[in-house]
Amino acid sequence: MLKCNINGVDLEVPEGTKLIEAFLKAEQKIAHYCWHPGLSVAGVCRLCMCEIEGNPRLQIACNTEVQEGMVASNQSEKVKETVRWGMDFHLINHPLDCPICDQAGECGLQEQYMEYGQYTPSMAHAKVKKRKVVSLGSKVVLDSERCILCSRCVRFTDEVTKTHELGIFNRGDKSEIGTFHDKPLENKYAVNTVDICPVGALTSKEFRFKQRVWYLKDEKTVCPGCSTGCSVKVYHNQEGLFRVKPEYDAEVNEHWMCDEGRGVFDWVNRQNRQSYSVNAENMEKPSSSELKLILTAQQTVEEYESLFEYLKSSNKKVEVYYWKNNPDKFDDFDNLLIRGDKNPNTKGLLETAVKHDITLNPFSGFDGFESFEGDIWFILPENKAVYPLYEQYVEKALKLENNLTIFAVPKVKVDKTKKNISILPLKTYFEKDGHFLNFNGLKRQLKPGPLQVSSALALNEWVSFVKSDDFGDQVDLLSKRKSEGFRKKNEMTQTGGGL
Amino acid sequence: MSVEVKRKDQNQSWLLPSVLSGMSLTFGKMWGNLFNRKKMPTLNYPEEKYEYGPRFKGNHVLTVKKDGSLRCTACMLCATNCPADCITIIASEHDNEEVEKFPIHYEIDILRCVFCGFCEEACPVDAIRMGPEWQSPALNGGSFVYDIRHLAFRSELRGGIESRLDDAERHKAGI
Repeated sequence: MLKCNINGVDLEVPEGTKLIEAFLKAEQKIAHYCWHPGLSVAGVCRLCMCEIEGNPRLQIACNTEVQEGMVASNQSEKVKETVRWGMDFHLINHPLDCPICDQAGECGLQEQYMEYGQYTPSMAHAKVKKRKVVSLGSKVVLDSERCILCSRCVRFTDEVTKTHELGIFNRGDKSEIGTFHDKPLENKYAVNTVDICPVGALTSKEFRFKQRVWYLKDEKTVCPGCSTGCSVKVYHNQEGLFRVKPEYDAEVNEHWMCDEGRGVFDWVNRQNRQSYSVNAENMEKPSSSELKLILTAQQTVEEYESLFEYLKSSNKKVEVYYWKNNPDKFDDFDNLLIRGDKNPNTKGLLETAVKHDITLNPFSGFDGFESFEGDIWFILPENKAVYPLYEQYVEKALKLENNLTIFAVPKVKVDKTKKNISILPLKTYFEKDGHFLNFNGLKRQLKPGPLQVSSALALNEWVSFVKSDDFGDQVDLLSKRKSEGFRKKNEMTQTGGGL
Repeated sequence: MSVEVKRKDQNQSWLLPSVLSGMSLTFGKMWGNLFNRKKMPTLNYPEEKYEYGPRFKGNHVLTVKKDGSLRCTACMLCATNCPADCITIIASEHDNEEVEKFPIHYEIDILRCVFCGFCEEACPVDAIRMGPEWQSPALNGGSFVYDIRHLAFRSELRGGIESRLDDAERHKAGI
């Protein structure tokens, strides 16, 4: 460990720490663009200037390693003046199209200009015009005018994905970010470049112009897209969910996430959900003593626990079927984040089943079900897109004559005159409490966000309803429940409303 | 509880002088208005309408560019700044890459609006103004929600109000 002093704060840092990391560790403000904790050091923006005792010239903090007894500061007028001018140089060719730019509101340039800007620009010449709205493949749009050439995205494709698509072309003030001959940027992690872009040069096609970022609130949760279980932030407001961004997690995903995982919020939105229960009174009747249960590995450990406990405590003859989507691809891995097992909780399901001594029979269609007379519980997967046989199985299930209960997140179209089928809406990963176990058994805790469908319950809550005597009353109460926790549109911007 | 009744004093019981003075004022004004109508302070609404100055903050106008398209870039600062939350905008990608973003839906619920003028102040591109019009009668609730057609191209605006900002000129000047 090395001792150093940052702006008068004494601290100890491990060997090899960069000075900028020491600054951030000491909770001191320091301007920076090009430095990113997940990437190598480029030292091109020249904004993280600091004064080191014994050194006559200012140094950049991102490319200077901390030495024993180093005393550094960025409080002097000399440093502030340098940063102000550095900022002014960045803005020489930056267009003033913040109203159009999607990054406005979370833009590094806006934030740092407020803090370190020179409010009277000294540039007398016209701005250099560059290309706008260049489509880089199906996910990313480039605006090279807004780019400040921090090279974060270039380093990302070089170091993290190792696909080397992006580069800086031309020289001087004609320099531009781009791909060779505008070839599409089609790697599986391309949208991470949008996240790390400190300005609005790279924007995501999916999110573009959907919402202004200040209307969105974020909720930290876990991505249910595959068994990796990346930490993510889900951005939402009263109109629904809009985007997913990665959250730093040293154990799993560090700073990144895959593009596939950014699309897994669609099924949470109200318009795609089963929003009411059908024939819920069926659950009250004394049903037969035999039960077949079909489940997937998309529920939380808590839900499996209470479900299996219920099955064990009831005096029913129970058979549990485990529906795997693509068992042959379960062990695929692309050496970064994406895994072939598209269920977040396979490990959790298997462990809980062993714990409660439940045998999981493989599910492969309703072939053996014709002669079966008892009840069937069918727990549909949340993310139906990764289940290729989803439509087919649901269709077959709806034709069954048994007393069938479907627990569903996606909409299920059912003939309401068929009294043997009841459908109960489930909560999604975004709304329920609980945890997943990822591929190596790490606990991934979910955090309940605002309810999107008021009548939805998690599986363990449904089970506790079934256990209790007054199921019907409980469901009635549920239908009167209001969706709560939605944010008013201008809640953030109009605090207090004082003039 | 007893109520004390005030007796009229002697002067008040002489009604005729005050009636006559009142009548003389009324008829004086009447003859004055009949023979000198220019000085009459009231208007024959709705045939005659009072016109406020251009700085009056009345009904909203969306300005247009030289080519007649909307000036608004759908940045939503007006909607953000609106204390009555009466502006709804849906943005979309424009085919022309120099325009890039434009509103496909812009609505003002004029019954919610408090005419504070914050939208006008927030607008970075002179796209929304509050004009001198002050009447907004309508037959049903739906017609109080003004859409783009009403805000930018209603017949009173005679083809739209042109914004003083010109993108092409700004582009040439290197802004």
